[in-house]
Amino acid sequence: MAKAVPTPTGAGITEEKLSSSRFRLGRWVREGLAAWLPALPLLIVAGAFLLLPTIQIVYQSVHNSELGWTLQFWKDTFQSNGGRKSILTSIRLGLISATIALFIGAPLAWLISRMLTAKRSVWLALMNVSANFGGIGLAFSYVAALGTYGMVTLAFKDIGINFTPPQVGTLASLILAYSYSNVPLFVLLTLPAMSILRTDWMEAAEVAAASRFQFWRYVGLPILAPFFIAGWLLIFTWSLGIYGLAYALGANASAAGQLRLITLYIGLFLNTSAGREERAAVMAALLLGMAAVSLILYRLILRWALRWFS
Amino acid sequence: MVFVNKFARWTFFTAIILYVLIPMLAVLVYSFSTRWTSNILPDGYTLSHWGDSFRDERLRAALWRTLWMAGAVLIFDILLVVPAVYWQRVRNPRIRIFTELLAAIPFALPFIVIAFGILRIVGTSAPTVLFEIADVLPGFLGDRLVSIGNWLPTMLGTPWIILFGHAAIAFPFLYWAVDGSMAAANIGRLNEAAQMCGATPIQILRLVVLPNIGAGLAAGGMLVFATSFGEFALVQILAGARFENISLYSLDLLNNTTSQVEKLAVLTIVTFAILFAISIGVVYLNRGQGSRLLPGARAMGGEK
Repeated sequence: MAKAVPTPTGAGITEEKLSSSRFRLGRWVREGLAAWLPALPLLIVAGAFLLLPTIQIVYQSVHNSELGWTLQFWKDTFQSNGGRKSILTSIRLGLISATIALFIGAPLAWLISRMLTAKRSVWLALMNVSANFGGIGLAFSYVAALGTYGMVTLAFKDIGINFTPPQVGTLASLILAYSYSNVPLFVLLTLPAMSILRTDWMEAAEVAAASRFQFWRYVGLPILAPFFIAGWLLIFTWSLGIYGLAYALGANASAAGQLRLITLYIGLFLNTSAGREERAAVMAALLLGMAAVSLILYRLILRWALRWFS
Repeated sequence: MVFVNKFARWTFFTAIILYVLIPMLAVLVYSFSTRWTSNILPDGYTLSHWGDSFRDERLRAALWRTLWMAGAVLIFDILLVVPAVYWQRVRNPRIRIFTELLAAIPFALPFIVIAFGILRIVGTSAPTVLFEIADVLPGFLGDRLVSIGNWLPTMLGTPWIILFGHAAIAFPFLYWAVDGSMAAANIGRLNEAAQMCGATPIQILRLVVLPNIGAGLAAGGMLVFATSFGEFALVQILAGARFENISLYSLDLLNNTTSQVEKLAVLTIVTFAILFAISIGVVYLNRGQGSRLLPGARAMGGEK
């Protein structure tokens, strides 16, 4: 069957035509075009606006017209007080925020996965609400709830409790605001994996007289751990790069030198020319490097996670 | 023991519900309040902020700009992605090496870094390279390169640079969705059948491929729209005040004018409502498809 499918190109070419080298070049171009043309617009646009900028950032962090190729900018950044502080604060913010997302999100995802359909959709909608609330709007809602005249602040004042929420622009305020979308994101990321852990296994463990702790220690967590770790890694990586929310909450504090973050350094440099080009490039390249590493780790973890299913 | 367990669970759930809802509630109440500086609830309520906000030319213009940009990015991305995915599935699998690599970039890399890179590429690097090539290439071709090099930086601040930038950072969503639904529809087989009947690639794309990937196209398309709609970094860095979308306008309201907080509340709710509606649409369209374990992983059902 199917012996008469015509090949799109190269049909009806005779031997002597093929021997001409000019024709061979033409054929090569034509076949290349036929193989790549429909994908070319995408490859060109994405290449020019994703790949080239990436290369540009790395290049700029190790090269300039005066010094040529150099590691000086990296050394300067790590040696400077501000640079080191920005990097460490960003990493600390990412670590804390991702860990909060893990410790609240993991049990929540598990509980939601075991709910009945109607109740589960309500919770999914709730998670979608807060996962979709980000950027400038979230920054404003922080002010509206926890600012000086925020709803929660005023509520505590009404009851007579002296409570001051973390002030806008402090690290604590950023952690709170980041967690607002990180926790639900973690839930939405790991929820599908929860169905892997079958209820039968729980029953089997129970029949074998395992305590609930033993079940989680020897069955539940070993299976789900890679998914949790992968989720943690993604949240960590994304938290390092959050910009809109950080800018809205922290730009003023950052300009005043009270809060230092990698993304804010880059953003303030590009907006107000505060800081130095090379240093901004180094920090951007650093984000890029961390993103690349965590992407590779993420792929490896995912392979490990899916080892039961291949 | 059971009682304690139940109580702990109840507390946990209640705390999370409060944590999610209170900030939104605060914004909502703000948009209806007259003066609100002393008690848990405002001194009075009014609908006037909503009316005022929608009569505000600047807000309407920002909202309109954001909407049409998101729509344009969506159309552009469909035109870029669908032919590429179709071709890599039926004709040249090697395309996939590049598309997968490119799709991973905005997934992991912060947009502010991409914005920084685009700014320097378009503003300085690309023109410099073009001028250097033009030095070697005399005549008409060299002149053309020089004029392109002069023209590129003028693109900064125009909607064009945002259109291309957003199309690039949002394309992976459409790419993954379309790739998944082409796999589910078994496009390879359909393509063979259509070819045997003598259909041209354009005909196949229009009459066979598109009708079969509707759900993926819609779900991925919504995510593309939402990405452009809520994006801040690229718009701020590459265009700034010259293309004021709702993110930029919101930031301006938040920073500069204390008297217009209510307008910001209205704008925040409108933005959120649009994004939330989109996300519900995506969830609805993705129902019944094999659940994706984590982004980037292959769907559990369907493929292979």
